[in-house]
Amino acid sequence: MAAVNSRRGSRLLPTVVLIAAAVFFIMPLVAIARFGFQNVPTVLLGWSSLFKKWTLDGITGAFRDRNFGPALGLSVKLAIGTVFGTIGLLLPTAVWVHLKLPKARGLVEFMTVLPYMVPGIALVAGIKVIQPHARWFLNSPYSLIPYYVVLALPFTYRSIDAGLRSIDLRTLVDASRSLGAGWGTTLRRVLMPNLRTSLVSATFLTVAVVLGEFTISSILLRKTLPVFQATYRSSSPRGAYALSVLFLLGTTAVFAVLSLLTRPKSARVKKIDPVVAAVTDEALATQGLAT
Amino acid sequence: MTDTIITDGVAVRGRTEGAPPRATRRSWAWVGLVPFFGFLVLFLILPAISVFQEALHNTAGRLSLASMKDAFTGQNFDAFKFSVVFSAAAAFVGVVFGTLLAYAAATATRPRWLRNLVSSFSGVAANMGGIVLAFAFIALIGPQGIATKALKYFGWNLYGGSWTLGSISGVTMVYSYFNIPLMVLITLPAIDGLKASWREACTNLGGTTFTYWRRVGFPVLLPSLLGGFMLLFANSFSAYATAKILTNNTKIVSLRLSFYLGGDVNVGQDAIGFALAAWMILITAFAMIVYWRLRKKAERWQQ
Repeated sequence: MAAVNSRRGSRLLPTVVLIAAAVFFIMPLVAIARFGFQNVPTVLLGWSSLFKKWTLDGITGAFRDRNFGPALGLSVKLAIGTVFGTIGLLLPTAVWVHLKLPKARGLVEFMTVLPYMVPGIALVAGIKVIQPHARWFLNSPYSLIPYYVVLALPFTYRSIDAGLRSIDLRTLVDASRSLGAGWGTTLRRVLMPNLRTSLVSATFLTVAVVLGEFTISSILLRKTLPVFQATYRSSSPRGAYALSVLFLLGTTAVFAVLSLLTRPKSARVKKIDPVVAAVTDEALATQGLAT
Repeated sequence: MTDTIITDGVAVRGRTEGAPPRATRRSWAWVGLVPFFGFLVLFLILPAISVFQEALHNTAGRLSLASMKDAFTGQNFDAFKFSVVFSAAAAFVGVVFGTLLAYAAATATRPRWLRNLVSSFSGVAANMGGIVLAFAFIALIGPQGIATKALKYFGWNLYGGSWTLGSISGVTMVYSYFNIPLMVLITLPAIDGLKASWREACTNLGGTTFTYWRRVGFPVLLPSLLGGFMLLFANSFSAYATAKILTNNTKIVSLRLSFYLGGDVNVGQDAIGFALAAWMILITAFAMIVYWRLRKKAERWQQ
């Protein structure tokens, strides 16, 4: 009985921590949702007006804004380009390292975290130096794609690397090659289906980063979705906030799908979860640390 | 007879395919990494080197440390001091509360979904940087925020003095929103790495809970905690988007740098901007290298 009591007592602190954390993390979300979807100025907000004038016109207004479409279009195209660039560059590299150059693994892994050492805003400073010498390239808004590939590199590589570790790569490649498939066919028809989970997670994380990237695009004056949100706030705060809520819901849904897709088959296997690892790395990219 | 021929053949082929061709194969294998390294050089290393190139040359094109010095003295030094202090504060808060939250979630037995909820939510919140996060906190505790109004109702006028969201406590609070979950993601595997048998062994040898934490638990967690601190520090120090929306406090180095990059600065002043960027890279790289080494140490216990 005493033991049970003492255990109860030691649960007090964790319970307080959990409740405090819940309050801290939920309140800003409630606040932004209210601003985005309720047409009542804070000054007039009170118990009587708490449930009045909830509306979707902030978000419909944002959709109708003539700058919204192009901004969304640009961000989506950048995201698609970044996903293809990432997979096109990293998958062959990672396979090559695993098959032919296992001793280069440490070096390559170190190279993939180099982006963490250059803050996003400092990378833009470097791009600004290069700009006058490479206008033919940097004049296009799509020139952001390779920089976004770098931005996403630490966690995309980690995700693909973890995927390659979990399959019997050499046997698959030998089997495929001995049946007469070339390297391209082996990559596309044997390896990619087997690496589906880690490629899907790398893709989702990349898309989330590109759709939220603000530092590089705003300094280089590219009108991406986050840049639109930031400027739209001055003309319609409610619309900008409502868009943000929508973006958050979208990201959350993606992460939920991701954790369902990549849930380990036996629940008791306690390894370093590749998705958790990749998500951890991605968090850094979002803050502008990666690159 | 036939046997010897075959063995001979194998032996001969073994010889020809053995030593000499392996040397060429090795050199060819490195060629496979050229696209990857080339890409990194073009789009990461070249810009980074350009920053130092600009920072280390004066307007006459001579090698000079003057800009580096200017960027680290006077007002610029104040900015670095402010940024280092708030980044350290944000990292400290993140480490303490992140570890507590991770421990609470890892040891909670009752709602079984609790642990998954905490780790999944951390995945989302750790990524919720940038403008969305700034919007959320402005809506909550900006001058027109609902918490500001609620606090005023209870007699605490947040904006009565000089406090803003851009002050050290303000930035620390906002950054905690992604720092705490990030720390949860880092420490959860470390806490899982603490084996129940260690605790039993400690109890069997006559140790108390305190002894266990002082002699076993804390030393094992220490590399993760210190590594987490360096990571959160670098994360807070280099964040730009959130700060940009939240405040126009030029004491935040990333914002200060962005004003130089805006382009409306005199030509002579340009180098100082690049020197600011160079210092940022040096500080962040230092923090990340320390983190990287500590992480390798911490992963030993998580096998």
